[in-house]
Amino acid sequence: MDSSFAITGKGYAIVAADMTVSRSIVKMQYNEDKIKVLGSHLLMAFSGEPGDTVQFAEYVERNIRLAQIRNTYPLPPPSAASWIRRELADSLRSRSPYSVNLLVAGYDLSTHEPKLYWIDYLGTMATVPFAAHGYGSYFALSLLDRYHDPEATVEEGLATLRRCIDEVSKRLVVTPGKFKVKVVDKNGVREVEL
Amino acid sequence: MNSLVQRFDTNNALSEIKRTSAIIEEDGDNVSDLMWGSYGGFGNLATGIPKFNIPAVPDPSAFLRLHTDDHTDPSCRIKIQHGTTTLAFRFKGGVIVAVDSRATAGSYIASGTVKKVIEINPYLLGTMAGGAADCQYWETYLGIQCRLHELRNKERISVAAASKYLSNLVYSYKGMGLSMGTMICGWDKTGPQVYYVDSDGTRLKGDLFSVGSGSTFAYGVLDQGHHWDLSDEDAQELGRRSIYAAGHRDAFSGNTINLYHVKEDGWKFIGNYDVSKMHYEGPGDIPGAPGHGYGYSIRTAGKSSADPPTS
Amino acid sequence: MSRSYDRALTVFSPDGHLFQVEYANEAVRKGTCAVGVRGKDVVVLGVEKKSVLQLQDPRTVRKVVMLDDHVCLAFAGLTADGRVLIDKARIECQSHRLTVEDPVTIEYITRHIAGIQQRYTQSGGVRPFGIATLIVGFDPNDTRPRLYMTEPSGIYSAWKANAIGRSSKTVREFLEKNHKDDMTKEESIKLTIKSLLEVVQTGAKNIEISVLDGYNKITSLELSEIEAIVQDIEREKEAEAERKRSRLAATAAGQAAMLSRSADQSEGQ
Repeated sequence: MDSSFAITGKGYAIVAADMTVSRSIVKMQYNEDKIKVLGSHLLMAFSGEPGDTVQFAEYVERNIRLAQIRNTYPLPPPSAASWIRRELADSLRSRSPYSVNLLVAGYDLSTHEPKLYWIDYLGTMATVPFAAHGYGSYFALSLLDRYHDPEATVEEGLATLRRCIDEVSKRLVVTPGKFKVKVVDKNGVREVEL
Repeated sequence: MNSLVQRFDTNNALSEIKRTSAIIEEDGDNVSDLMWGSYGGFGNLATGIPKFNIPAVPDPSAFLRLHTDDHTDPSCRIKIQHGTTTLAFRFKGGVIVAVDSRATAGSYIASGTVKKVIEINPYLLGTMAGGAADCQYWETYLGIQCRLHELRNKERISVAAASKYLSNLVYSYKGMGLSMGTMICGWDKTGPQVYYVDSDGTRLKGDLFSVGSGSTFAYGVLDQGHHWDLSDEDAQELGRRSIYAAGHRDAFSGNTINLYHVKEDGWKFIGNYDVSKMHYEGPGDIPGAPGHGYGYSIRTAGKSSADPPTS
Repeated sequence: MSRSYDRALTVFSPDGHLFQVEYANEAVRKGTCAVGVRGKDVVVLGVEKKSVLQLQDPRTVRKVVMLDDHVCLAFAGLTADGRVLIDKARIECQSHRLTVEDPVTIEYITRHIAGIQQRYTQSGGVRPFGIATLIVGFDPNDTRPRLYMTEPSGIYSAWKANAIGRSSKTVREFLEKNHKDDMTKEESIKLTIKSLLEVVQTGAKNIEISVLDGYNKITSLELSEIEAIVQDIEREKEAEAERKRSRLAATAAGQAAMLSRSADQSEGQ
């Protein structure tokens, strides 16, 4: 039931994910953070099979950190996304695959542009200006086709994101509830209240 | 746990050494890589996480389901205990853990005196929902590992680490039929802590959880009565009353309530309370008790909604 | 089936020595010197750097490395062995965060590294690591600085100040004479450099200093900063020598005067 969205704009990327963890009809948790901060300029929203999600996200988190300690410099977003995709693809062909869908967003300090990658549990990766996973994507993608602006300011970007969340809250049978929103730009990562 | 090491291990010299040690292992001294370098404070296990023999069938979990699913086949050979209500919550005075004591196998009440709180060690409690054997075995096993951690690191294990150990353990069995829904409760350097861990591999940190078939009924009372500044007596009363509510409404929960309170110096067993007695008489003359039965008709005895004109 | 003993390089000699381990210690003694000094709320690592060749990129030669945000390691001995051991330690630091949700304590990672070193003295088909390490840092939620040493045999121990590598005995004796408890940051850095200067003739450009003053607070000194401190030390030494000279001169003059007086007196009698 989880939904996540991400959009890019002029010099930034925004990632949003719902905050609920449910088990059958019960919400077990309503303030779960489903967006990992993988580095000073890298974010990853994760959703999918319970258990797999956190397990995979933490595994990625520690390996990205390890790469940074080993090489002094952090992996730039394209390399990080490729590595993550590779891990998922390898896992898919193992005895116990991770069923996790991801949105990887970062700010590339070398090219001065935001990067957004849509990755699914099959190891599909696409570089996109905006992305969504879960039931929310059925509403948000068409909306973003209509309203997304690659040159939007952060405020405009957040407004577009708010449209997505409002739409989902309005039309989806089970309202996802609160969303956590994180922005990444040249100054790094920050959390914003919507 | 060591997959991180292996997966990232592209160094040829390292894999050479690994191969060598693999050869040594063949010689029968049964020493794995984990024996020496202790990973995450849990290493030094001679063979890593122990593995059970799995039934020699193509799909072990389907095999297990075939013999344990009393829902589709009431005459199945193994009936796993499913119905339960357990709860745990955090407040300023520590953690309250309350559970019922009924064990059902299908529609039959197999026992009314089950201990569903597992005393992992003097400062950690685990609760039991789902497969009784799975919970009992793995939480006792967790207790062993916690003690070893303590001996190795000269420091008590944090609740976070203990719950994570259990979570990683059950996650390694994912899809093989383990059935657990448990709360790991304790008090460590960071204060009172409650973690929810289940056999999906989900692990959540939180203030308040309830697990089992009666959890929705317990939540109804618990959520409404819970706040951080509860006094010890009120908190205990809230735990008792929430389990009563589930015992009353859920056919698969009931008999008696077991109540525990975790404080800074470890857990304390508060008491065992009969659900029927709670319904009619309440917990009796103890602090925080309402002084009457919890039952609706008892609580509202003598009250009427009739509103006749008062001329 | 082949047995492992015939592949083991590390077997006891009849008088109870493990020659391979002792040779590894020899490799450590040939390595460049590394010093660790613990102050009141600071811990300093100093290493002797080999001179880089004219066309070499100095950034690729590092002897003090970060294991995690709060742990640093310096080693003496075979650099290649060091790299492998460091990588294992770095993996363990992240692995520990993953499984326990806490960063490693300094003692924990030291024990882990020593454990790996020990393993390589007791397995077939391997040779011991030819390095000794100094591990420094701060434990999470703690303000006390930590300094540990590990050796090729797998021994580990905690220290107030210690040195490993070339001439480590000289440096350790110097530290024993000059170390005080509760040193400030400046005093600790100075003592580190001073002790290194005992064995590093070429001065500041061959010294690398890392300072940890609190959890997650790791800084490396710039060459200019080290140079300034070296100059300071040299000035002090100069002044000390000057004082000594003048004192010597004074005593010499006094003695001469005394002698001449006694000569006068004897003459007078």
